[in-house]
Amino acid sequence: MKKRTVDILAPVGSFDSLQAAINAGADAIYFGVEQLNMRSRSANVFSVTDIKKISQACKAAGIKAYLTLNTVMYDHDRQLLRSLIKEAKKQNIDAVIAADFAVIGYCRELEMPLHISTQANITNIESVQFFAAFADVIVLARELTLKQVAQIVADIKRKNITGPSGELVRIEIFVHGALCMAVSGKCYLSLHQQNASANRGACTQNCRRSYLVKDADSGDELLVENEYIMSPKDLCTIDILDEVIQAGVSVLKIEGRPKGADYVHTVTQCYREAADAVAEGSFTAEKIASWKTALEKVYNRGFWQGYYLGRQTGEWATQSGSAATEKKIYIGKGSRYYPQKKVGEFTIESGSIQIGDTLLITGPLCGMVKEKLETLYVNGAQALTADKGDRITLLFPLKVTPADKLYKIVDTTHA
Amino acid sequence: MPKIIHYRNKCIGCGVCYEQQPSLWRMSRKDGKAILLRGISKKGIFQLTVPGEVMEQSAAVAKACPVNIIKIV
Ligand code: SF4
Repeated sequence: MKKRTVDILAPVGSFDSLQAAINAGADAIYFGVEQLNMRSRSANVFSVTDIKKISQACKAAGIKAYLTLNTVMYDHDRQLLRSLIKEAKKQNIDAVIAADFAVIGYCRELEMPLHISTQANITNIESVQFFAAFADVIVLARELTLKQVAQIVADIKRKNITGPSGELVRIEIFVHGALCMAVSGKCYLSLHQQNASANRGACTQNCRRSYLVKDADSGDELLVENEYIMSPKDLCTIDILDEVIQAGVSVLKIEGRPKGADYVHTVTQCYREAADAVAEGSFTAEKIASWKTALEKVYNRGFWQGYYLGRQTGEWATQSGSAATEKKIYIGKGSRYYPQKKVGEFTIESGSIQIGDTLLITGPLCGMVKEKLETLYVNGAQALTADKGDRITLLFPLKVTPADKLYKIVDTTHA
Repeated sequence: MPKIIHYRNKCIGCGVCYEQQPSLWRMSRKDGKAILLRGISKKGIFQLTVPGEVMEQSAAVAKACPVNIIKIV
């Protein structure tokens, strides 16, 4: 195996994404369970009983698994919190990611390794030193510049700041994904407008809508070029990854637990390749361009490099949803598998497909698989197209079940 | 009489219902989710028939729940 200098930490919100992260070369994954995670609003939330399965899958793949418990915690959460940490420990989860002192205290008491979440907003060496008594890995605030990050890493070495394991504290930063308009999660917009606490994972994404700016006295509307005045573009550091790694960061974290397996696979793979290229001295402009093209195909609001290069103001998205150059359209789901012939059958539930289409399959066993449709069998006979209600068969190396979803990829740039 | 329905599985335990209407709600110390007092469970969905007088307040609670899992029928 290649010598790796940095870890790629992938977001996982479903078993499909978990497999996608493993396939794409993640060194570690992070996930949340129940309501104590910042993504509790998303449709599929893991439960306590999933911790075992996640841990086993990660152990089998030789990667680490971290449980995120970084919401605001109330008194009525204490028992759940303790039982989650106990279960994580029992199932050999590698660490808990947290910001609240209740979680930090319980982890210490229950001897559960801890990482400090970006929600703690750590921006200086004194804070690092403080938290080093509890944690071996610290996620810095997303608002620092790379220079500041490098200084913190240098000071950790100079002052020999070690965590509970006795090793030097390791620094983790976000390298890709959605940014918050407020200082990482310290936002009350949803709470004010819909009584929905973003810090309890119920963010209603008010910042992602378009707004008009009106002079309350005169009633005049101000002309703003872009109505999405509160929606930052997504962070993307693939083109400055060499500088990020040179700053001494140990873990590159990808945002996006509610996003699909296709996003997790593509983003993890791009950053894996880029980090390896930096290590091997083959981080070229050509490669950067091809990673960027790949990243633009999955969910994004347009990219910028965040605050790492010392930019003063954010860059704002120009649309409400994704600016991805490709879109996946749901076609159907797996219905049968013929293991001897290694053929999977899918039933088309909506839309149609034809030879030449690019198909995307996501599922808990395959993660994400993307391929061009070259031969098509419909209801047992060779065909050129297939429509709603048809059963199609494809050569597929892994077992196909109804948990496997079939999509068609369409280009959104010529729409 | 009107009925309150609580889709408890999806509760994020924010505590708004209990803050606004403590006569009908509690926060569970066990799993951190809200409990509709005296509610009857059907496959994890809790129901409670309530007198008309509390309806105004219950409607406000239903509106306040950030994940829309309290319904009044
Ligand atoms: S308001 Fe809704 S989400 Fe919040 S505790 Fe009550 S039922 Fe649960």
